[in-house]
Parts: sequence; structure tokens; C-alpha cells
Amino acid sequence: MIYFLGKYLHPHYEIFSLLRLVDYISARAIGAALTAIILTLALTPLVIRHLHRRGLVDQRRNTGVASAFDKAGTPAMGGAVVVGCVLVSCLLWCNMSNRFLLAVLAGMIWFGALGLADDIAKTRARSGDGGMSEARKLLLQAVFAAGLVIFLASPWTPLPAGQAGAFYVPFHKTPLFTSLWMYLPIVFFFVVAVGNAVNITDGMDGLAIVPSVFAIGVLGLFGYFLGNAIWARYLNYPFYPGAGELAVFASAFAGAGIGFLWFNAYPAQIFMGDTGSMAIGGSIAVLSVMLKQEVLFLILGGLFVAEAATSQIQDKIGIRWLGRRIFMRAPLHHAMQHKGLAETKVVIRLWIVSGILALAALATLKLR
Amino acid sequence: MHEIRRILLTGGGTAGHVNPALAIGSALDRGDARFLFVGVRGRVEEQVVPHEGMAIKYVRASGFPGTLSPALLPFLADLSIGILQSAWILCRFRPDVIVGTGGYVSAPIVMAAALLRKLRLSRARVFIHEQNAVPGKLNQLMGRFADRVLVTFPETLSFFPANGALVGYPLRRSIAALGREEALQKIDFAIPEQRKVVLAFGGSQGSRTINRALVDALRHLLPFRDRLFIIHGTGLMKNRQYDAAADTEKRLRSLYNEEERAQIESFYLHRPYFYNIENLYSASDLVIARAGAGSLNEISAMGLPALIIPKSNLPGNHQVMNARSMERAGGAEILYEQIAPASGRLEEWLDGKVLAEAIVSLALDDERLERLRSRSRDFLNQDALGRIARIIRSEETEPAGVPLPTPGPLSEERLPTNRELLALLEKAERSGPGRYSPKTVVGRPQDLEFFKNRASALLIHPSWPERNLGVKLLGLLHAREKAPALVTLLKEKNPASFLKRCFGGDFEQVGFIRRNVVIALVRIDVIDAEIEAALLEALWDRYYEVRAEAARAAAHFGGRLQSRSRFVRVLLQNLGDRNLDASTAAAEALGVIGGERDALPDLLKLWDARFWKMRAAALTGILRMVERGEVSDRAALAAEIPKFILTSTDFRPHFEIKSIYRRLMESLSGTGGEGLQP
Repeated sequence: MIYFLGKYLHPHYEIFSLLRLVDYISARAIGAALTAIILTLALTPLVIRHLHRRGLVDQRRNTGVASAFDKAGTPAMGGAVVVGCVLVSCLLWCNMSNRFLLAVLAGMIWFGALGLADDIAKTRARSGDGGMSEARKLLLQAVFAAGLVIFLASPWTPLPAGQAGAFYVPFHKTPLFTSLWMYLPIVFFFVVAVGNAVNITDGMDGLAIVPSVFAIGVLGLFGYFLGNAIWARYLNYPFYPGAGELAVFASAFAGAGIGFLWFNAYPAQIFMGDTGSMAIGGSIAVLSVMLKQEVLFLILGGLFVAEAATSQIQDKIGIRWLGRRIFMRAPLHHAMQHKGLAETKVVIRLWIVSGILALAALATLKLR
Repeated sequence: MHEIRRILLTGGGTAGHVNPALAIGSALDRGDARFLFVGVRGRVEEQVVPHEGMAIKYVRASGFPGTLSPALLPFLADLSIGILQSAWILCRFRPDVIVGTGGYVSAPIVMAAALLRKLRLSRARVFIHEQNAVPGKLNQLMGRFADRVLVTFPETLSFFPANGALVGYPLRRSIAALGREEALQKIDFAIPEQRKVVLAFGGSQGSRTINRALVDALRHLLPFRDRLFIIHGTGLMKNRQYDAAADTEKRLRSLYNEEERAQIESFYLHRPYFYNIENLYSASDLVIARAGAGSLNEISAMGLPALIIPKSNLPGNHQVMNARSMERAGGAEILYEQIAPASGRLEEWLDGKVLAEAIVSLALDDERLERLRSRSRDFLNQDALGRIARIIRSEETEPAGVPLPTPGPLSEERLPTNRELLALLEKAERSGPGRYSPKTVVGRPQDLEFFKNRASALLIHPSWPERNLGVKLLGLLHAREKAPALVTLLKEKNPASFLKRCFGGDFEQVGFIRRNVVIALVRIDVIDAEIEAALLEALWDRYYEVRAEAARAAAHFGGRLQSRSRFVRVLLQNLGDRNLDASTAAAEALGVIGGERDALPDLLKLWDARFWKMRAAALTGILRMVERGEVSDRAALAAEIPKFILTSTDFRPHFEIKSIYRRLMESLSGTGGEGLQP
């Protein structure tokens, strides 16, 4: 809104000349971040109290870890607050006609809604295991992945000609292949995997939100560089006009994330719930797809990958098939806790790991 | 009232399905009916039905694989072809009534009839008779297409709530009970006077479990040789795994010497098969048999007391359910076969001594025999055929009139499955760890026995999660007598498939099974040399959880261990285990079974271990040693202990408000605050 207002007002009226700042992505990014932080800090306490009064509190799975037990009764819809604040901030500061942005917002809302439905089902069933069925979740995620690829291939695609089916890998300048049919399954697998990886990581206070902020922040920077003709040429990337808008989205998200961390820090007063983790996963996934940085997630989201991999290997290969544990505990953060690390220590160590991974991912910008 | 002129009978595979069909057919015949039998080529019906002078046609059919598996495809193919063939047969023969007696053989006809009726091409009414207490999966499905499902046991009605009718078992020929004298005359061998006659057989094919157990039992029956006479039908089975007659003969020769065999011959007679078995029935005082529906109903028709040995691990566990139905009606006693180690692996087995005791206590107790005899006769619905005919002719809509055997207190339809039972037991154990006993969950001792046997049958299941379930159940049921079977699982080291080993699998009895066996042995709380040896071996197991649990088991049995020093030696080595769970468990166990000389110095060396859990475990071990009074020089120890590095990377949070809350709730519920407890 501020973007459109500024665009409309400052060329005509001298008095609004300050509003020419809206032409600068950096200025809007800062504005978006601040707006999101202030909104979350102001709204979350109200939401927490409301959720407590309505009895909409977390229904934990019995993970066998003693400390998890003491957390039953914490409200779990923090994710909805984050999503709401990002949306408001974007409405204020973003160019809402930008199709890069619209795709990412669609991803965030679709996955957030999926998570919300799951959260509500769990609260209704009064059990952490009573959520939506695995198959239905997968189906709805697949529907979105298909929609996304159709959008990329359609005349309304924000990508330059010939880029829709291109598949890039880090450290390599040209696409590995350009084929929509080969690209579609990759997008599907990627979207599903990322959405669930964040969900699995979200098992300790503050554990999911900080690496998510790092990841979205780095992707926002990628968007800024790819959407800038000079930077894109200098870094040898294809120029994606309009991708810079994603930087504004990313900073709004970072702001909301930090505001959320204020309350989610150990010991947490609110959890993000499936709403939050799915919305974050969806946003990261669509951001990566729009910027053609899917494989970068192996580095940037290395923590999420490790969490999801340990959890899946333990469950599907070990417990279901081999009849033994492969890791002493899974996912990764429970394994660390089982070895005798306190929750706070596990979380901070994993923050450090994810920070290092984010820097490494940033380095691939130039290393090609 | 329907006019019935054309009757189609179907069912087969085994005589147990064909004979009821023929029986029902003859009951429906008033002299002017036309019959057609539909069966499968190459099965029993191919011989029996033409022999009866009945027309027979064949369709394709094969057994339902039960689960989603590749075998489902040929089954569906056969079924589709069978349904087409059946539709053709139905259109040609145009029956008024279709009677199916189960087995997969009747499936195509029943489905084709349902289909044709939908298309209004057939008016045939469909009846299904279920002989067993638990219908097979396919028969449960067939039941939906049938007008009425006629069942033998009251328990079965719950599977067919909409259209089930209790009728009993259609015995083919009314087995007339002869007088004992008359029967004795017709038998081609002599039975000495003043003996109790026991007739034992495992169906026409014979049963390995019964045959072997009975031969073993003879030694214990020798002292009663002038009061008993045992007639044993070994059965006609003769294949690569088992040759009933030869195996029995061999066992007799290997177990008994010349002199003993001569004594045995004075009261024991065995043959592969007895023709005219009704003569033997009439001369017998007690029958030992399997729990096939046909056998049970024959026994009941003869009004004989029975000792039933149901075969376990059949679909739906139906023999056990059949047997329980007769037991609860008071007409029989059950002896469960055991799953026990035989030459290193688990097999069905029945202890000869147990069988002998059961025979003696039953056969020589006239009062008990008389009680069983009268109840046995009541168990069978004596007018089964008449009622079936009346229902099919629509003369009787609701079965009434004849008094039905009423189900016992624990209704079979609410009998918990193995998994439900596990949940119940685990919940009970969690709620009162010190006071737990399976008896509080399972009331009737006979039921406890039944559950133990049902669980132990799982130990030889081909899929490991089922075996694992069996192990857990046996532990929670405190099945003392199954400890040797559990130990066998622990020691059996058949490698897993190559693919599984590539991913970190080891043996067929997977890590979870071995771990849970150790846990179960602790729960059962029985120790002997065999178990000790197995536990020692488990301390070396490839899988860390087994090593850890074995250490905990060593601590649990503590002073009861005969080879304490060997346990200590292995546990000392396990202190250096690369796995934290295994090494900490070893340290804690050493505190219980280790001594000042052999274990304390090693525990003290752990003062600077990298993980605090290891240091804590060492301290726990030392603490236990001190509490046991094992440490003589306390002052010296007190000087050593402060070396331990006490910093830790973990702590337990304490939420002030939650502890106040708990105290408040406790004091509220303590002072008669009723309704506050969950």
C-alpha cells in the first residue's frame, strides 16, 4: 500500500518527495522488517492469552524425552501470527502486482493453511497423533507443486523466456538441463521434502525459527542480486527482472521470525505449530524454485536436511524394516539431547551450524 | 414357503467343506429336487461327489492370500474367470437355492449369483454355512452377498450381525450311537475288559503334535496300563516333511526298549486309519482330537467327553476358537500345544508328561467324565439339518425353539486382539510399576493361559513385528514356562537377508526382538543356567540396545547370578563400549554385582570420562556399591571421589509454578477432594 501510495504521490507532489524512497528495495526491505517485528511483538502476547483462554494448546506426542513432557499446554499457533504479520507487512511495503512475490505468498499461505488444518485436527483429537492423514497432506502438497510448475510454464510466468524448465546447481554457471517434464518431479519432491524437513526440525524451543530466518534471508539476498541487472551480470547469473521484490518479502519474514523468537526462546511461551513450520517450509521451497536455487538448499538448509534424513532413516529403514535403531535417537536434536546436552545447548549449537551453512551458501554466489 | 426344485451346492477343497454341503443337500431333498455341485478340479469333491451320484461342474478358484501381496494378482485372475464360468453355469441350471459351505471354492458362484441378481437374471436365494467359529476373510465377504449365513458356533454371529442364524453343524449321516457291547463286537480287535478306552486321532491326515506327544506320554501311562486302553489313529499324512505312520513307529522304537514295548502293546494300539470310526466312538470313554468343526461336532453328536488339542496359527486362530466354544459349553477340556525349542528352533510341541497327566486325570475320574459327557451332548445343536432345511424353505425366519448354548462371561466377540492386549497390559504396568501383575488385567486363569498360548504362537510367525509382539506379550503376561522359548530366540543367529545386512541389519531375530527378549526375561523374573548363559552372550550382542538391556538384566538378577564373576568380567569390558547407552548401563550394573576388588578401581578411572552421563553412571555404580556395604575403606574412597568432574552439559528445568500447582492439587485430592482425580 505504501509502495503504491508512494509511486502515485511523489512524482506529483513536492511535499511527498520523501516517499521516493519506495523506489529503493533496500529501504522498503528495512521498512518491512521493522513493521513485521513491531507487529509480532505487539500481537503475540494477545494471541497467547487468547489461545490459553480458548484452550487451544499444544498436544505433544509422547517422544520419550523427559523435558518434552513439561511443555504440554503451550499454545501452538504462533505460526499463524508469523504468517499474518508477514502478510500485513508485505501488503504495506511490497509491490503486490509482482508475480515472483505472489507465487511465494501463495506457497506460504497454501502450506500454512495445510498446517493450520492439521493443528486444528490435532487439538480436536486431543492428541499429537490425531492430525491429518499422511496421504492427504502429500496429495495437497503435490497439487501445489503441480500448480507451481504450470504457473512457471504459463504465459504469466515472471521468469524470462526459456528459464521455466531450467535446472541449476551451485558452482555451475549453465543449467544442468532445461526440460519442464524433468523439472516437474524435482519441484514436487523438493516442495514436499522442504515442507516436512522444517516440520521435523521444529522440535525444540527456537530451533526451527532461527535457521529459517537465516535461510530465507540468504534467499532474499539471492533475489536482490538476481533481480538487479548489474549484480546479475557481475555474478554471472541470468537476470530475473522483478526478483528483487523477494528481498522485501524475505526481510518481512526475518522480522516476523525475530519477533516470534522473542516469545519462542527457551522456555517457550508459544510454539509455531504445523502452521508455522509448513508455512516456512512452503516459503523456502517456492523462493528456491523461483530463484532456481533448489540444490542450494542442501547447503543452505543443511540442518533441515540432516534433521529430516536422520528421522526418515531411523523410522523407515531402521524401526519399520530392520527392526533396530540406527541412531540412538532421531531426529538429530533428540540424538544430541540423548547424549547429554541440555535443550538450550543443542539449540544454540544448531543455530551456529545453520549460521555457518548460511554463510557457505552465500559464498556460492561468487564461487561459480 | 418356497418351492425348491433345483438346488446348487458349492464348497470344497477339503472333506470338511464337502460333507456339510452334501448333508444339507440331502436334508433339502424331498424326492423331486435336482442337484448340481460346483467345485474345483483336483480337490476332494472330484472324487466324493460323483461317488454320491450327484452331477458336478468345475470352476476356477484359488485361495485368498489374505494380505496385499503379489499373490493377489493370480487370485483375482482366477476369481474373475471363476465368476464368468459360474455365471454361465447359473444361467444354464437356474437354481432356486444356492448353498455354499465355504472354502474359497464357493466364492465365484456366490459372487456370480449376487451379480446376476443385481441384473435381475437370477432369482436364486443364497445361503452360506460357516463351520468354524471364526470365518475366513473370504467367507466374511461372501456373507454380505448371502440371504442368510448359517453358523455353527454362537460366537460367529458377531461376524454376521445382519443375516446370521445359529443352526449348528450339519452332520452328514446321523452317527447312531451303538451300545457299547454292540460296538465292541463290530471292532476287529479286542479291547480288554474293565478298561477306560481313550480314542486319539488328529483328523484323517493325522497331527504330528498329537502323534509325538502321545508316544512320549506312553511312558507316563505305563503304570496305569491295566486300567486304560488307548486307540491311536496316526493319520494318512505322508509327505517329505512328515510321514505319520513311519515317524510314529520310529519314535516308539527309539524311546522304548523291547520289554517296554511289549508292555505298551497290552494297552496301546495304533493304526494309520480306522474305517467305521463310529464303532470306535461308541466304545470310547474319552476322545483326544484336533478342533476342526467336523471333529468337534461328531464328538458332540456321540456325546463323548473330549480332550481337545487345537492347532494354533491357523487363519483367525479358528481351531482355538472352536475349542474354546466347546470348552466354555462344558463339553471338553483344552490342552494347548506349545511353541517350544526343538533342536535349536521353535516348533509346535506338546509335552508327553502333560498329556499323560491330562489323560489319567480325566479318564480315571468318572464324575468328571459324566459331567463332560452330558455337556458335550448339549453342545451340538442336534437338529442342525432340520433347522437348516426349515430356514432355507423359509418355514422358520428366526431361529428359535431349541435352547442355544449361551456364551460365557468373557464374550468371544470382545476378546482383545494381541495388540489390544499389549496396550492394556502396558497401561496397567505404567500405572503401577511396583504392583503390576497380569492377573489384574486378565481375570480368568483359563483366559490367561489362552492369551499366553496365543502370544507364544506368534513366536514362529514369519514377520518380525509379529514375533516381537509375541515376545513383549509373553514378558508382560509373566509367562514363566515360555522362558526357554524366548531364550531360543535370543540365541538363534540366522543371518538376515543380504539386502538388510547392507543397511545394518544383522539377524532374522532382529535387534528389537533380542532387546525385548532380555526385557521380557527380566519381567518374567526367572533365572537358571540356560538364561544366564544367554544373558552373558547378550552382553556381547552386535546391537547396542541388547548389550544395554543385558547389563540392566544382570543388575536386576544381581545376587541370584551363579556366574557373577564372569558377568563382572564382561561388564568391565563393556565399560569401554563405544555406545554410550551400553557403557553407562554396564557401569550402573557393576555397582550391583561388582565388588570392591574387581569393579571399583575401573569405575573410579571414569572420573574424567568425556560424557557426563558416563561419569554419572560411574558415580551411580559406586553409590550402589557403598549402599550394599561392599566398600571397606570408606575414607579412602571419599578422598578419591572429589576428582570426578562434576560439570555437566545437561540439567533439569524446574518450573516453580508447576511444582506449586502439583502440591496444591495433591493436597486438594488428599483431603477428600472427590472428583479431582483424573
